Amino acid sequence: MAVIDASSAQLESAVVAAGAKPRGRWRAWMRTWIPAGTVIFILAICFLGPTVLPIPGATGGDVLESGQGPFSPGHLLGTDSNGNDVLSRLLSGGQASLLIGISVNVIGIVIGGTIGAVSAYVGGLFDTIVMRLLDVLIAFPSLVLTLAVAQSLGPSKRNTIFALAFFSVPAVARIARSSTLRLREMPFMQAAQLCGSPTWRILLRHVAPNVAPQLISFAALGMGIVIVTEGALSFLGLGIPAPAPSWGNMIFDGQQSMSATPLEVVWPSIALLVTVLAFNQLGENLRARWSGR
Amino acid sequence: MSAVSGLLPTRSGSGFGRLGRVAGSPLLRLIVKRVVMAIPILFGVSVLTFWVLSLIPGDPARAMLGMNATDQQVEALRQQYGLDKSGPARYWDWLTGALHGDLGISMVSSQSMSSMLGDRWAVTAELVVLSFIVSLGVAVPVALLAARWPGGLFDRVSMVCSMTGLAVANYVLALLLVLVFAVELGWLPAIGYVHISDGIGGNLKSMILPTLAMAIPLFCFYTRFLRGDIVDQMQGEDYVDTARAKGVGPWRVLWSHAFRNSSFGLITIVGLNIGTLVGGTVIIEQIFALPGLGQLLLQGVNTRDTVVVQDLVIIFAAIAVLANLLVDVLYAVLDPRIRYGSH
Repeated sequence: MAVIDASSAQLESAVVAAGAKPRGRWRAWMRTWIPAGTVIFILAICFLGPTVLPIPGATGGDVLESGQGPFSPGHLLGTDSNGNDVLSRLLSGGQASLLIGISVNVIGIVIGGTIGAVSAYVGGLFDTIVMRLLDVLIAFPSLVLTLAVAQSLGPSKRNTIFALAFFSVPAVARIARSSTLRLREMPFMQAAQLCGSPTWRILLRHVAPNVAPQLISFAALGMGIVIVTEGALSFLGLGIPAPAPSWGNMIFDGQQSMSATPLEVVWPSIALLVTVLAFNQLGENLRARWSGR
Repeated sequence: MSAVSGLLPTRSGSGFGRLGRVAGSPLLRLIVKRVVMAIPILFGVSVLTFWVLSLIPGDPARAMLGMNATDQQVEALRQQYGLDKSGPARYWDWLTGALHGDLGISMVSSQSMSSMLGDRWAVTAELVVLSFIVSLGVAVPVALLAARWPGGLFDRVSMVCSMTGLAVANYVLALLLVLVFAVELGWLPAIGYVHISDGIGGNLKSMILPTLAMAIPLFCFYTRFLRGDIVDQMQGEDYVDTARAKGVGPWRVLWSHAFRNSSFGLITIVGLNIGTLVGGTVIIEQIFALPGLGQLLLQGVNTRDTVVVQDLVIIFAAIAVLANLLVDVLYAVLDPRIRYGSH
């Protein structure tokens, strides 16, 4: 209850504070748009880059061209030990990471959000059972459960998404549940119920739009977690199978010859760092904005 | 719950003083309640793990023996590991065994699980404990310094550093540390584990890099949490104003008033982290070749040893559940409002 009161009080103070100081507003704008811009840039370059930019393919490089340094002709960031273009692998690997991150979070929001909202709205025994089941899923350390799922299904992009969704769904469901519980007490919800709106309509028209901002800001934070965990899986050889690139397996490949060519580890690491940092900041700022902290 | 509290003698009024109140209902009731809640979770964890691992396509016995094995050999192995039985029957066998301390036999090495776990416990525990000591030991002073002058230079620098540190994956950090301290500077060993019986100095030296790789992201997380919480308390709480009005110095208000309150939130966060941290040992132990539980899990995954994977996944999840249980209990013991049941 205390948490609920605090956040609604924050909401009010946010409404009062909005539009207070022009300098503060500019700052808030920058804080949201610098990470948002970085995210858009990363998405654009990873998905459009390989088709638009004049770079060779991510796989099927010539071994004779292996181990070239940065700024060598035709290879801006050089080539790896198999002769593949590093920049091209970086972009395709990013594509895989982002695709997995987005899929897992969409699955998390849709399934987890539905479970959480319905469970809170229906309440009673159903709610108790669902919550206990989620407690079980949440008990697993994310990488460990993912390892078990990956081991039993075998490494592939689709199975990685499935394995990661295992821990995204319960986390989102819990958040959706607590926000729905808070909404249930609000006058407009009671009004909707008194009007005789069917349950699905209340969930879709009244609960979903109010819960969505919280879930979206969580999903931005979740992107960072998913991308890092996917990297860990690929690093361990259980994520995206070689020769297809991913940041995780690029870091692993680079690790083999790290003392000779440290840059092979550094490039995907930087890509990972910048992407996660941008998503984390975006998530933090969206949360701060929407909860008015 | 009422049945449980009914069994306990309520001695609060009978002159036993503090002891009587502790043994009386609120604290004990809470502990019993938490323990009762943890049991079905542990049960669910083991059932789910069993189910997930039974999804493996094909026959594990055939996969282990290879294509050249005769049908008789495969059938013998299936019987040895109970693979010919149904899922629930196998789970029941495992559960009764596990409750008697028998976790089964590895399918690859044919060793019993308890002998394989042997020393590995200690390695993982050492890594986790050292990571907590280092991360908390640095995070508390840094957070206090940052919260002393919010918006000051130290605050800003530490917040930017911790924000960046949070975004670094632990395996990237591990490789970076190896690159700098082992490859370039040559100060520390890149991989390997020195057993504690071969000298504590060598043991700690082999643990420095793995510990740092685990502790740095954790340190960033704790610093940010603690700094934010203390600043909130310093600005908005009446007891802080009261203490200041009484003439208590700024450091003392920070330490004995604000931090004392924030430490409860910190304990909760630490408890929630234990699971993640223990899960993180898998990759760190792999990178640094530490013979711990995580390395065994990964070996099991790579050799498709279902028994090893299943036991270790359940052990990791059980550690997380028990850590949360411990935190809940600790919380109740430390918080006077719960301890005296006035909440």
